[in-house]
Amino acid sequence: MKMTLVTPEKRILTGADVESVTVPAFRGELNILEGHTPLVTTLDTGIMRWKVKGSDRFQYAVISWGYCEVYPNGIDILAETADLPEDVNLTDAQSFIDKAKARLAAESLNDADYADLSRVVKRGESSIEVTKFKN
Amino acid sequence: MASLKDIRAQIASTKNTQQITKALKLVSASKLRKAQNNIVNMRPYALSLRRVISDVAVTQKVAHPLMGQRTEVNKVLMVVLTSDRGLCGAFNTNINKFAEKYIRDNKARLQKLDFIFVGKKGFEFFQKRNITPLESITGLDKDISYKLASQVADRLLGYFLSGEYDEVQLVYNEFKSAISHNVVCETLLPINLGLSSFSDEVNTARFSKDLVFEPSPEEVVEQLLTKHFGLQVYRSMSESVAAEHGARMTAMENASNNAKELINKMTLTYNKLRQEKITTELIEIVSGAEALK
Repeated sequence: MKMTLVTPEKRILTGADVESVTVPAFRGELNILEGHTPLVTTLDTGIMRWKVKGSDRFQYAVISWGYCEVYPNGIDILAETADLPEDVNLTDAQSFIDKAKARLAAESLNDADYADLSRVVKRGESSIEVTKFKN
Repeated sequence: MASLKDIRAQIASTKNTQQITKALKLVSASKLRKAQNNIVNMRPYALSLRRVISDVAVTQKVAHPLMGQRTEVNKVLMVVLTSDRGLCGAFNTNINKFAEKYIRDNKARLQKLDFIFVGKKGFEFFQKRNITPLESITGLDKDISYKLASQVADRLLGYFLSGEYDEVQLVYNEFKSAISHNVVCETLLPINLGLSSFSDEVNTARFSKDLVFEPSPEEVVEQLLTKHFGLQVYRSMSESVAAEHGARMTAMENASNNAKELINKMTLTYNKLRQEKITTELIEIVSGAEALK
């Protein structure tokens, strides 16, 4: 199963052989193994992980909005951003969360802004969580 | 006639300038490399995105307001991409001239023509001509990020979808190579994917009938189009930045060469003058000695 993971700013994987991929899909976490039914879905902010063939450990990345397409012999993932655990800056992540939370608490926001800020919080929290998997 | 001392000072100052231009050239070269990397890294994402949109839109027969072509265009929003800094040859002048010509040619035809300037140079140029932009954005060259581009894109989408404009045009320098770039005017909105020419390429075999869509195809296309548009803006910004560094590199290269030529000429004059002086002194001594005999 070939997997491609790209963002506008970098290429993380192109055509890598993978055994198992788990993504934060539109309807909740989605695990994709060999022979998965063809599927098109959008991805939420969260942590995705994948296992390269022959390796015994998962690799992790935090993604914000993304698009995932499963076809018979591979997966294409286009993510808006994708941070590997080693890219995460904990103090930055924490300050993003704090700022966003402060705004969520203080201002009366319209739906779009509310969703944006919630996404920022989620991205920050996922970033902090993903650093646990740093190798 | 300049004295020896004057020429020496002039040579020294030209050398200083040459060193500055050389340093600037090196800086631009490394920035150019970074900008080029940016473009290369974006390509797979851009290609997949485009392919996916056309696949989904064609197989699922999805139409979207962003893709609808207008029959009549009366209200145009023009985005002009320039740089914040000068010293890059005709880079900004070309853009400004193009935009000015566009105004002259289309002012009478259009009901409404507004501008957004990205980069200080364009903003200043049109400020002198009493054109106030809808918005102006600076600080592009420092950090060209997808985030900034998608913010701009979101605002453009807002203007377009609210019906204030029929068309959004973008004028920027397309990056060809380190030494060449040309002015391009693109229609950003409505999005034209060139679907008619695309349909032959669409690999419908990959899209089986029981393909699962989460959420619905319409919603997927909607989200993808927004991202696609953001990416277009990001791509043009990256191209413009790369072209700017390329242009500056060439300009600085030329300046360094000119300085070198100047130094050579001046050194020649300096040596000639020095020799003349020595000869005069020798003649004076010799003729003095002759007179004493």
